[in-house]
Amino acid sequence: MFSGKQTKPTFKSYLPPLQTDSKKSPQLPIKKLEAKLLPGEIVVNEANFVKKCISTESCQDGLWGKLVCTNFKVSFIPHNSLPLQRFQCTHRLLGEHDISLACVEQVVTVNDVKGKQKILGSNQKLKFNPTELILYCKDFRIIRFRFDEAGPESAKKVCLAIAHYSHPADPQLLFGFEYVGKRYHGSTDETVNGIDPGGGLQTPLFDCSSDWDREIKRTGASEWRVCTINQGYFISPSLPEFFVVPVSLADQDLKQYACCFYSQRIPLWCWNHSSGSALVRMSNISDPLQQRKVEQRISSAIIKSHPLRSDVFKSDLDKNLPNIQDIQTALLKLRQICVIEPFEESEEKWLSSLDSSRWMEYVRTFLKHAVDVVYMLESRHVSVILIEKEDRDLSCVISCLVQLMCDPHCRSLHGFQGLIQKEWVMAGHRFLDRCNHLKKSDKEESPLFLLFLDCVWQLWNQYPAAFEFTEVYLTVLGDSMWVPVFSTFLFNCPRQRAEHSRDFASSKSIHLGQDQALRFPSVWDWSQQFSLKDQTLFNNPLYVGKIATCVQNGTVKTFTHRRSKKNYSSTMRGLPSAMRNGSLGPNDTLTRRNSLMLRLRSDLSQVREQQETPSERFIRDWFSRPVDLQGLLLPQLLPSHLSVWKLYFLRWVPEAQIPQGGPITAFHKLSLLTEEIEMLQNQLRQYNGAGCTPNNPHTEHSKMYFKATSTPHQSLVPPEYLSSSFPFSPMGNLCRPGILGTPLSKFLNGAKIWLSTETLANETI
Amino acid sequence: MASAPIAPYNSSPLGISSSQNASRESLKMEPLADVAVLPGEERVIDKEIIYICPFNSAVKGKVSITNYRLYFKNTDSETPVTLNVPLGVISRVEKMGGASSRGENSYGLEITCKDMRNLRFALKQEGHSRRDIFEILFKYAFPLSHGMQLFAFLSQEKYEENGWNVYEPLEEYRRQGLPNSEWRVTFINKNYELCDTYPTILVVPYKATDEDLRRVATFRSRCRIPVLSWFHKENHAVITRCSQPLVGMSGKRNKDDERYLDIIRDANGTIKLTIYDARPNVNAVANKATGGGYEGDDAYQNAELVFLDIHNIHVMRESLKKLKDIVYPNVEESHWLSSLESTHWLEHIKLVLSGAIQVADKVSSGNSVVVHCSDGWDRTAQLTSLSMLMLDSYYRTLGGFQVLLEKEWIGFGHKFASRIGHGDKNHADQDRSPIFLQFIDCVWQMTKQFPTAFEFNERLLVVILDHLYSCRFGTFLYNCESARESNNVRVKTVSLWSLINSDTSLYINPFYTPESSRVLYPVASMRHLELWVTYYIRWNPRIQHQQQSPVEQRYKELLALRDQYLKKLEELQLSDSTPSSTHLTNSSAPNAATPNQHITHLQTPF
Repeated sequence: MFSGKQTKPTFKSYLPPLQTDSKKSPQLPIKKLEAKLLPGEIVVNEANFVKKCISTESCQDGLWGKLVCTNFKVSFIPHNSLPLQRFQCTHRLLGEHDISLACVEQVVTVNDVKGKQKILGSNQKLKFNPTELILYCKDFRIIRFRFDEAGPESAKKVCLAIAHYSHPADPQLLFGFEYVGKRYHGSTDETVNGIDPGGGLQTPLFDCSSDWDREIKRTGASEWRVCTINQGYFISPSLPEFFVVPVSLADQDLKQYACCFYSQRIPLWCWNHSSGSALVRMSNISDPLQQRKVEQRISSAIIKSHPLRSDVFKSDLDKNLPNIQDIQTALLKLRQICVIEPFEESEEKWLSSLDSSRWMEYVRTFLKHAVDVVYMLESRHVSVILIEKEDRDLSCVISCLVQLMCDPHCRSLHGFQGLIQKEWVMAGHRFLDRCNHLKKSDKEESPLFLLFLDCVWQLWNQYPAAFEFTEVYLTVLGDSMWVPVFSTFLFNCPRQRAEHSRDFASSKSIHLGQDQALRFPSVWDWSQQFSLKDQTLFNNPLYVGKIATCVQNGTVKTFTHRRSKKNYSSTMRGLPSAMRNGSLGPNDTLTRRNSLMLRLRSDLSQVREQQETPSERFIRDWFSRPVDLQGLLLPQLLPSHLSVWKLYFLRWVPEAQIPQGGPITAFHKLSLLTEEIEMLQNQLRQYNGAGCTPNNPHTEHSKMYFKATSTPHQSLVPPEYLSSSFPFSPMGNLCRPGILGTPLSKFLNGAKIWLSTETLANETI
Repeated sequence: MASAPIAPYNSSPLGISSSQNASRESLKMEPLADVAVLPGEERVIDKEIIYICPFNSAVKGKVSITNYRLYFKNTDSETPVTLNVPLGVISRVEKMGGASSRGENSYGLEITCKDMRNLRFALKQEGHSRRDIFEILFKYAFPLSHGMQLFAFLSQEKYEENGWNVYEPLEEYRRQGLPNSEWRVTFINKNYELCDTYPTILVVPYKATDEDLRRVATFRSRCRIPVLSWFHKENHAVITRCSQPLVGMSGKRNKDDERYLDIIRDANGTIKLTIYDARPNVNAVANKATGGGYEGDDAYQNAELVFLDIHNIHVMRESLKKLKDIVYPNVEESHWLSSLESTHWLEHIKLVLSGAIQVADKVSSGNSVVVHCSDGWDRTAQLTSLSMLMLDSYYRTLGGFQVLLEKEWIGFGHKFASRIGHGDKNHADQDRSPIFLQFIDCVWQMTKQFPTAFEFNERLLVVILDHLYSCRFGTFLYNCESARESNNVRVKTVSLWSLINSDTSLYINPFYTPESSRVLYPVASMRHLELWVTYYIRWNPRIQHQQQSPVEQRYKELLALRDQYLKKLEELQLSDSTPSSTHLTNSSAPNAATPNQHITHLQTPF
């Protein structure tokens, strides 16, 4: 399907470009520059003698090479690569200078001689020959290419190709289909592309009833069952085939209720608290006549499933949280101040600009709402239903955050991945629309998943030892949304995946064999993207869950924290606390004190006058106790205690990079120590005869990225390549439109256009 | 009932350390409720009182006032509420309400503290019940205003280490490679005759005679002539510090001063000497009206002048005041970031840090610099000490940091007494300003950006700031060396470093990795500067108070675990001398407790 569009470069010059500046003249050895192609990937267009700008200040410094547009990526193949940056983890699907087309947010062409600039969409014409191409990326990078020495025609063509191919007209034009489809094209290799979805993965995908059964068992939700009425997606188009409902609801009832809900989304069970309280998510009831009746039936079924027959609390998310457009607007503003505005000029107003983006405020709002839900589950012992119009956006964030705070299992790597499978992928978060992979409707685009990752990062930042993974993991997970080969982020719901892959298979005459659908790799198959060594960057050396070991009488005991099922009567003791509040003394003293307050001077007027609410009290009580990292975790919600996720948002900004600094330097030392401890454990095991591990304690299966090297003193010092951006490098990845050459105002203007994505139209300036 | 558990750490930097030392010294202690009193501390009054906790309701309890502290403990609830406040932190005591005030708890005392909090107490209205406690507090909180001595002079504390010995000027200069053929040590200020706010030992250009120095002194505000602060061993560039030249309205010149600066320039063959004037340009100009000014282009031809735009003590005082308004008692929740920006506190931090970065960068590229502001004891001290911290890894050790403070701040006459107002009742004194706090904040920002580069931890910085106000130690008392000498501070008081160095383990950063030759350049950008919440927002009980950062704590736990394993292995080795032990022969140093040594074990061939 791509072959029809493939064009051959019309102009090819084997002469080196004119040497304008002797010092910076590119040394061009005559060598063939070829893009590395993946199975199913084809070259669409290319241009030679292109310069990639690598520093912010000017485009004087740059790399010379070939710019290639394929059906998967924009690839730049330099003649001379940069000095080897050995720290960069190499992406298996994308090279150092590659950008996947799905990651390209906006394609801007510039002719600085004519002072023209145009934002290119799909199937467009370009009336001028571009001298420059700027790619604004969804992951906050800004990449610039100069065509001063490239043939004007080939420059134009490659720009148009990039613009066209980054706006696929149909989901099946997303590269993942070709990539996966290759697997079935009579290949002899059993594991083409190494795709191994599910198999060998320890992460439950929740696409079969056994995963749900295990989850029910794990959380002790004995009064809940797996429901299979949606097999074949006959009941609801956006629900998974398997989900969990109260045992007291029969399939017949559910089928009957289904039509009352928005998109026939029957309430879904998410998780059970150890007290027996359930977390349930549900869409609005669309039929107003049935609303009360159905709500009552659902509620009473949930109450029946609670061992204490506790009540149900309904949490209306649409009312309490920002909507998806608000969140999108916040991210665009955040992007504006992080990477587009000139660094120095925006310093003075950085905090207030950050404030006005409202991103941090939204992060806080979501965390706060999750804490409120946790309070209901943990302290009031009631079940909670999260209600959202469609139950496909805000609920995903809140239900995950609640489980992360309550359930230490979710803070392990596989637990976390399973959580995302359960609450995002299977529950039908519209990844295709929210990522706007097709760049069809900007109104549907919203970075909910990134907002969720930021919320997780805030928790991680406050309790780093409670999570098995690192912030590098969270960052890379966010980036993976823009690699369009993973089933995880390509579709709006499981049904859509099934349908598209069936259609694609039949249109390509692919015989699926035993498979029900094309087997897209899951993002959790990290080997698709990274080597085992690079994957060790995901392992948190601080994590308690795995290293909670101690030595007893010469034996190494490993304590695995098992979710202890609490005795219900003992947790009951917590109940009266809620009642105790409100009626007692403090209220009276406070009201009487108000008279005094009025007379106090201004600096005392801030004294909090209102009575603490029970949930505030619950939070304060929790904070007055030492933290149990394997227990409930509540985030500190004061705005002063939330931070900007610098690794994600500022990693490309050269000015913000701390060379040989940042938290990674402490992490480095921790890794070395953890590594050593693991080795000692192995030695002890050998002594104790339990030495099932062979005599190679220092295997390459080490869990830490950093290892002590053979030169002891060097290894202590943080390696030179560490920086606050590690493992990413701002070099060549953030080239703001420079002030040189073109009037600054014009570029700021351009940036604004980029911001208001509705006007992403065709006007040429 | 709802109560306010003030987390123990709230008051612990002062409380904990005292009790620990007490037990070590096994001195007889008279218990003061829960807290052991210090040797020399005497109880003055006990009183039933109501503490009006800003985070909750009123708490009934008993307050005890000694000549060192105010201690409060509640009596009305099993949840303990305590306050342990050295009187030195009090900047203002006021009566609130009158005998006829209506409403409960409307009659009492209000205490404003220097460490970002206020305290309010209520008493019974009958019989002038607050009169005695008010008078006692007023007297003991401000002893100097009442002809009494600061507690540091009454304290009988004894420590294993004598902190007064941490800094020996000659030894420190020798460490830097001084004197040498370019720079000499002069004792011209032996009796504080050249400059009464400078230390006795100064390092000046070899080519400048004592007579030159005297003549230069006439042209520098308060005779604070340019003297050496730091010497770069490789490129021989120097940091020198001084006060502003006395140029005045008429634009006076002084040949000796001009020649003197040129000698400094010439000492390592620098082509242009860079003069960093810490002030904003306009302020420097305005100073001409009062006889000051800056080095003009005409007069100092081989010098370039750079203004660093750092504001004066009054601006900083107001900035901190605004910061206190948004963090105490409650954190401003709506538009926090904008509120924070409007205090300008971080912006000032940024300017100070970026000034120091410029100084450090200049010096490491081989150019000598002169740093001054108006008098050369506030912004100048910030700039020289911070740039030295960036340039010289020695100052990033626990001991080196003490030397840095002793030298650049205490020795060169930062006016601690005036800036802090130790024991002085005049809370509105325009001389007060949080310059030193601002410096410590800058250091904290650096430790955040380089978690492995400093031997000391955050706790040290907090303890230093607590004792900046407490008046328990003599370290930060008085404005300059001559005043300290005439008051016999080194004999009559204990140094803060005695406390610190007697139990250094509390203040060690486990991540510290010595890197002797590395120049640290922090990124002085709002993107990285953070509000130091563990200091500025530590009184809020809604915040979990961690003794140390969770990462640091975890690292220490892992270190302990490692040692445990090593010990176990060694035991096994001893009990089992069969072949299996052969491949473990090298790992027989189980007590290698320092993180620096553990790599040796990794070298073991298996």
